[in-house]
Amino acid sequence: MQIAPIFDPELLTRYDVSGPRYTSYPTAPHFEAGFGEDRYRHHALASNDDPIPRPLSIYVHIPFCASPCFYCGCNRVVTRDRSKATEYLQRVAGEIRMQSELFDRDRQVIQLHLGGGTPNYLDADQLHELMEMLRGGFNLARGDEREFSIELDPRQADPALLDELAAIGFNRASFGVQDFDPYVQAAINRIQPIEQTLAVISSARNAGFKSVSIDLIYGLPRQTIEGFAATIDAVIGIRPDRIAVYSYAHLPEVFRAQRQIESCELPTAATKLQLLGTAVNMLAAAGYSYIGMDHFALPGDELVRAQETHTLQRNFQGYSTHAECDLLGFGVSAIGRVGDCFVQNARDLLSYYAAIDAGKLPLVKGYVVTPEDQLRAAVIQALMCHGSVEFRDIEQRHPGLDFPCHFADELRRMASLTRDGLVEVDHKSIRITGRGRLLMRVVAMVFDEYLEHPREQVTRFSRVI
Amino acid sequence: MVPPLSAMRAINPDGDGDGIAFCATCAFAPVCLPQGFDKGTLADLHCLIEHVGPYAAGSKLFEVDDAFDAVFAVRGGAVKTFLVDDQGREQVLGFYLPGELVGLNGVYPARYPCSAMTLDTTTVCRFSFPAMATLATRMPGIQQQLFRLMSKDITQASLLAGDFSADERLAAFLVGMADRYATRGFSATRFRLVMSRADIANYLRLATETVSRVLRRFQDDGLIVVERREVELREPAKLRHLARSILR
Repeated sequence: MQIAPIFDPELLTRYDVSGPRYTSYPTAPHFEAGFGEDRYRHHALASNDDPIPRPLSIYVHIPFCASPCFYCGCNRVVTRDRSKATEYLQRVAGEIRMQSELFDRDRQVIQLHLGGGTPNYLDADQLHELMEMLRGGFNLARGDEREFSIELDPRQADPALLDELAAIGFNRASFGVQDFDPYVQAAINRIQPIEQTLAVISSARNAGFKSVSIDLIYGLPRQTIEGFAATIDAVIGIRPDRIAVYSYAHLPEVFRAQRQIESCELPTAATKLQLLGTAVNMLAAAGYSYIGMDHFALPGDELVRAQETHTLQRNFQGYSTHAECDLLGFGVSAIGRVGDCFVQNARDLLSYYAAIDAGKLPLVKGYVVTPEDQLRAAVIQALMCHGSVEFRDIEQRHPGLDFPCHFADELRRMASLTRDGLVEVDHKSIRITGRGRLLMRVVAMVFDEYLEHPREQVTRFSRVI
Repeated sequence: MVPPLSAMRAINPDGDGDGIAFCATCAFAPVCLPQGFDKGTLADLHCLIEHVGPYAAGSKLFEVDDAFDAVFAVRGGAVKTFLVDDQGREQVLGFYLPGELVGLNGVYPARYPCSAMTLDTTTVCRFSFPAMATLATRMPGIQQQLFRLMSKDITQASLLAGDFSADERLAAFLVGMADRYATRGFSATRFRLVMSRADIANYLRLATETVSRVLRRFQDDGLIVVERREVELREPAKLRHLARSILR
């Protein structure tokens, strides 16, 4: 059983530093430029050689949006020119063909995620076409074990689209809501009447989606405790299987769209903290379990069960119940991981198109993890997924390792976190406390070898809160 | 018979040999040492030609139809032997682990009847076969050992000729690998499969996906645990029972 998070504003303020989200270790900024296609091919082909090769997980990035939400920090292209999507899909088709040649056909795709941008910028026919391309190149699972999800903008979805998505294999959907307050919606350029969202979610359930998720954001302009509480109340009424509550990171110097946001309308640091506290306390009272980072789920949800049985995973698609997959990323800026090899695609459409038109995989960055990286990734994964590290578990998987000796420095640095009540440390384990749960990445950061100078990375990562 | 102390020192207990000491796993050490032949003596008799390698994975030790003049003792890594037919299809004939001899099947007609390729970073000792054969006439122990090894090769090759199920073949393969590692002093229940699943499938005359499907079922049934290339036999007795018609 996981310890419930305790909202401690004083502690959260003290530890409000920027830090990675650890969907990978090392994190994407540490991938090396100029990583050759041949190296990736070698790792991909070798991944077929294991006695039981890992199953596959696929991510497809759809970068287009019909209108700009001002808070957004994603890699996206705002356009109303629908022919852009056609051009893009042609290139994705080429990328799928090239990648599909690298993987044995008996390796099932058990996880698929469409993210953006706005995946439903594509219309039903285009989404159908995309699934056919994937089915042509890969062995997509058909059974209930499959986890095929799509991020949906409720403003561009209707019952027919949801039926079509279910028919082509999707069984999970996450809906962007952010906040139901029309006054906040106006400030972020995302007018989305609550009735519309309710209708789309009920369409998803009628269409047979087995999991529905809602994304909220706190720290947006004009947000108040009362307004956000009303939003959370409404969300609890919808009773989605999962809820994500993200922190808004205002970095207008990095994300152009955010320059449209009036800084003076942003909540103060104290109010922002209270917004988080409101969400944490209301969701707990409504019976939601805290998974970690920004994620909450109903007790019957697979994520909660996976956490109880210690099989929860964390990868580029967030928290997942699936054992380690090889992850293939398609589309502009997409990240993949095959075996010990990370790769990232070109981040702009021009370079992405040019590579594919030249018959090349559009890789621009990559990294091959070292044994030390693997060890640290295991520790960070245990902290992020299960809130604790049993030294013996790690030692068993890394023969010859003496955890307290190898991590003597890290354990010394745990002392201040112990004093502040974030963790409890003894000679055989590190356990994150209820007070520490909302700060789990602060604990994980202690094991991050790439964070020698965390103060210099203020703009590279979002803040913890 | 207990070898004399001086001979014991001629095996490097840490595993890999050198100019004088045999590797701990060497197929020749147990018959040569009791007779007073250490590696230096073998070299003087021109039996031991050279230590070769390390070879990178995918290097050829010999090719089919090359003149047969030597046998190779694997010191570290692994080797597969195979044939390629006129349509380019490969047929895997066997796998050789540390301590095992590759190339004995070239004795007649003095050409290698198959090719041999390293599967991993591999080091070998190359023994001159004519010199070894001459030595064997003076040392019955060596002759017996050579006959034993040749006979084992033939038996192993004929095992797969029968009409066995995929489960039987894979169980026999896993138990066989475990026994071979155990003979050389390695763990009898945990080992690393150095060969790709395509090679295993080819060797067992099964489809690649069948190998994974059966192994996954063995794993679901609690017989084995597979993590990437590492295999642990959780129920070796059950696997042995499953493989009994092949192993006999």
